[in-house]
Amino acid sequence: MNDAPTIRRRGLVAAGLSLPFIRSAAAQQASGEPYVMGTLFPMSGPNAEYGEAFTRGAQLALSHIAADNMLRRPIRLQAEDSQALPQPSVVGMNKLVNVDRAVWVLVSWTASSKAVAPIGDRAKVIMVNGGAVGPDLSGLSPYFWNVIALAHLEVPVLVDYLTRHRNVKRMALVYVDDPLGDAILGQLRTELPKAGGQLVGSFSVPRAAQQFGPVAARVRQTRPDAVYIASFGAQQSQIIKGLRDNGVTQILCSYSAFSIDSVRQLPEAVGALYTTQKLDFESGDPITRRFAADFRARYNQTPVAYHANYYNAAYLFGLLARQLEQANEEVNGESLRQAMLRTRTFDLVGGRGTFDDQGNLMTQMQVNEIKGAGRTEIVQG
Amino acid sequence: MIAYLSNLATQVAIFGILAATLNFILGYAGIFSIAHAVFFGLGAYAGAQIALLLVPDVVLACIVAAAIAGGLSLCLALPALRVRGEYFVAASLGLQMVAVTLFSELKPLTGGIGGLVGIPLPTLFGVPVGVLPVALAALALILLATALLARGSFGRTLTAIRDAESAAEALGKNVAAAKTLAVGFACAGAGVAGALYALHTSFVNVESFTMDYSVLMMAMVIIGGTGTLWGPLIGTVLLLSLPAALAFLPFLPATEVGAVQQIIIGLAMTLLMIFRPAGLVGDLSRGQTTA
Amino acid sequence: MLFLQLLINGLQTGAIYALTAAGFALIFGATRIFHFAHGTAFTLAGYAFLFAWRADWPGWAGVLVAVAAATLFGMAMERFVYRPIQRHEGSFFTVFVAAFGVGIVVQNLIGLLAGRGLATVDTSLSFGTEVLPEIFVAPILWIAIGTAAVLFAALTVFLTRSHAGVALRALAQNPDLIRTYGLSANGLSVLAFAIGSALAAPAAIITAMTSGLNEAIGHQVMLISIAATIVGGIGSLRGAALAGLMLGVAESLALQFVDTQWAEAVSFLVLFAFILFRPSGIFGVAAAR
Repeated sequence: MNDAPTIRRRGLVAAGLSLPFIRSAAAQQASGEPYVMGTLFPMSGPNAEYGEAFTRGAQLALSHIAADNMLRRPIRLQAEDSQALPQPSVVGMNKLVNVDRAVWVLVSWTASSKAVAPIGDRAKVIMVNGGAVGPDLSGLSPYFWNVIALAHLEVPVLVDYLTRHRNVKRMALVYVDDPLGDAILGQLRTELPKAGGQLVGSFSVPRAAQQFGPVAARVRQTRPDAVYIASFGAQQSQIIKGLRDNGVTQILCSYSAFSIDSVRQLPEAVGALYTTQKLDFESGDPITRRFAADFRARYNQTPVAYHANYYNAAYLFGLLARQLEQANEEVNGESLRQAMLRTRTFDLVGGRGTFDDQGNLMTQMQVNEIKGAGRTEIVQG
Repeated sequence: MIAYLSNLATQVAIFGILAATLNFILGYAGIFSIAHAVFFGLGAYAGAQIALLLVPDVVLACIVAAAIAGGLSLCLALPALRVRGEYFVAASLGLQMVAVTLFSELKPLTGGIGGLVGIPLPTLFGVPVGVLPVALAALALILLATALLARGSFGRTLTAIRDAESAAEALGKNVAAAKTLAVGFACAGAGVAGALYALHTSFVNVESFTMDYSVLMMAMVIIGGTGTLWGPLIGTVLLLSLPAALAFLPFLPATEVGAVQQIIIGLAMTLLMIFRPAGLVGDLSRGQTTA
Repeated sequence: MLFLQLLINGLQTGAIYALTAAGFALIFGATRIFHFAHGTAFTLAGYAFLFAWRADWPGWAGVLVAVAAATLFGMAMERFVYRPIQRHEGSFFTVFVAAFGVGIVVQNLIGLLAGRGLATVDTSLSFGTEVLPEIFVAPILWIAIGTAAVLFAALTVFLTRSHAGVALRALAQNPDLIRTYGLSANGLSVLAFAIGSALAAPAAIITAMTSGLNEAIGHQVMLISIAATIVGGIGSLRGAALAGLMLGVAESLALQFVDTQWAEAVSFLVLFAFILFRPSGIFGVAAAR
């Protein structure tokens, strides 16, 4: 914990320095105007931690695309700050689409994604989400894709693991009442009885809430074996700490939102379980190994699901655009979509993934356990 | 570039309406509301529901939005009749916080935090129309109405209430009616802005109607100059175009872009207030006498 | 049993609210400046303590650093932001926007320097143990209540017995009188900001240990402080502190009766109702108009 800030700073400086490097290196290899890839992440405000993580994943993918000479033209990364809010997102998306002429925009955050989807849809720009998992993000537009498993894939895996290996019968849910929290509530209601368990209580908390002692008291009353937390950002760490400090000793679990650093570094989070798509850095898969090794070298940090997702989201552009360049087709939103629908299956970080008709990537899931000091372990692959 | 600027212009027009109407109660009647985003939200939900359930007619959406926001403005008028100054600020703050909870919980009407998606593109009597011209027309109408009302006897009553409420009452002015009307007009205007916003972005959720937005509108009015006709509009242009312009700075590393922009905006707000406390077009001498 | 547990949780939160609200009320009462950046002082104090803690400084040194950070920030706000503005125009909202701008700057600077996301001071003080069946109490509860009680006692003595304290109270009622007695209104104003901001520091440290810090934490603190000051009655320090305590308890006890998502709205409904039906607050004497 003590040296976390310095590591961060160093990582940031590295990220800043390497950006011009990507550009110049790529420019030497290829001629012509660069492709513009936009990012629309929260870069300020309470959710900026996510934006920082997302950007790192995308930056690494771009340097790999350049290093491999995948494309004839270089790629320029254009970052806009969405603040995770609809209105700034609309301004940023309009700039990316109409001024920077981006063909590929990495988006995140449910409200932000929903606000920009109509703009991208009208302009036929591919938008790829790798962070938000609300089920309402499926089918927003033919040009809106998800490279992250949406919530309905995460819950059954966890319920299965908890009931079979951890002897969990009674589960309580602490959630933010948005479409994601709602979906998880619905999933727990249907999945738990199937596995012989039951949902013994659900507690919706306002997004801005900070004190969770009283909620912990209510949670304890339901006598759960495990507590599912469906929130994100700073709040989910506060919930974990609030529950642990106030006598909730049972298993804590969640979806991929637990992947961020501030949760994995939290002492109270040790032992917490969360699902992500399959991501085994020790596996034999060369793409995953290269990603993990280069990520550690560059940012002095072990990568997590979010880094991998946005790496994949950016790398996918390289794969599709290379296909189009080789066929001498123009690279635009429509041709990229056609190329995706033709190919469907891609080798990405974490293994092979297949898109469904609506542009949702289907991957296998795994259950992770937080081991403390930023380490995690795969407990079910 | 043109499409980008047109989007920015639409947002300026919409927030211009909000700033102008807020200025009407703040600058002329001395009612310090930090709940303007509530009425913006009410209008947005009303407009969105009209477009989703009936027809996406922009005029109809605006009228219904204005009626609902104007009608519910009684929630704000009530404390305004009882208390002044800091007390009213706190009352409007309470209203704002409660409204955000209600917006998040009343899912059948507002879609909750998930919001309302797929709001169809606007039409005018069956013909597709852009939001920009309608928003500009609405802004012009509201500025015209503000100018007329401010100059007429109604405006004189309001400024009398602002400067010395008991004196105005003693002179036989109907303070309660004047305040209620002023709040009603301002909130109805905010409702219109909300309907236009919903049709413009095709998506609304509670995150656009939080206290932060009320404060942003407030800042637009104060930075431009309270109690002036053009001040709020100038404040709006400044506060919306500054972040947009900062996005064009090429040298910022991607992970620091947001923080640096926000720091510049925050500094600009503070420095402007220190060096131009009456706002950009405000009259310093007038400020001194009413302080 | 749930009731008792919620009451205990509420008291812990309420003590923190009481401290920040009292600081805000002191500043507002003495100077009539609606110090919107009070939450920023809170945030700075919390992070100052956090840095000291991470650097393995002893606890008392961390507390000193935190108090110093809040105090210096408050004094700097008075000297460099509020005073120049008030020289031209005392407009309520000019002060508001300026303070809001400072809040944005500090929040983002902290994000740049301290890293983003939640940061906590890891200590066993915040860890609750079962003292009665189903009742969990953490040592921090006694620290919070004790700190609040000691500081209020000290503050009361200061305001009623000491020369400067009496002058501070007089400043609120009649600045001209202060001048006749040859005291500096400016100096007293700085003093009010120094003491008021310092009061936010212990609350910030306790928060860093319990619910943790993030860049935007000052926002909610500010809202509660405003609410408590109004509910308590403007100008009444005792009222603000009591109202802060009450809001904390109400927010927690509400869970006995309503679903968790309504807890926050309860505080602000209380505020709204108070303004409509008892605008002078609990201890307020002056009518609102």
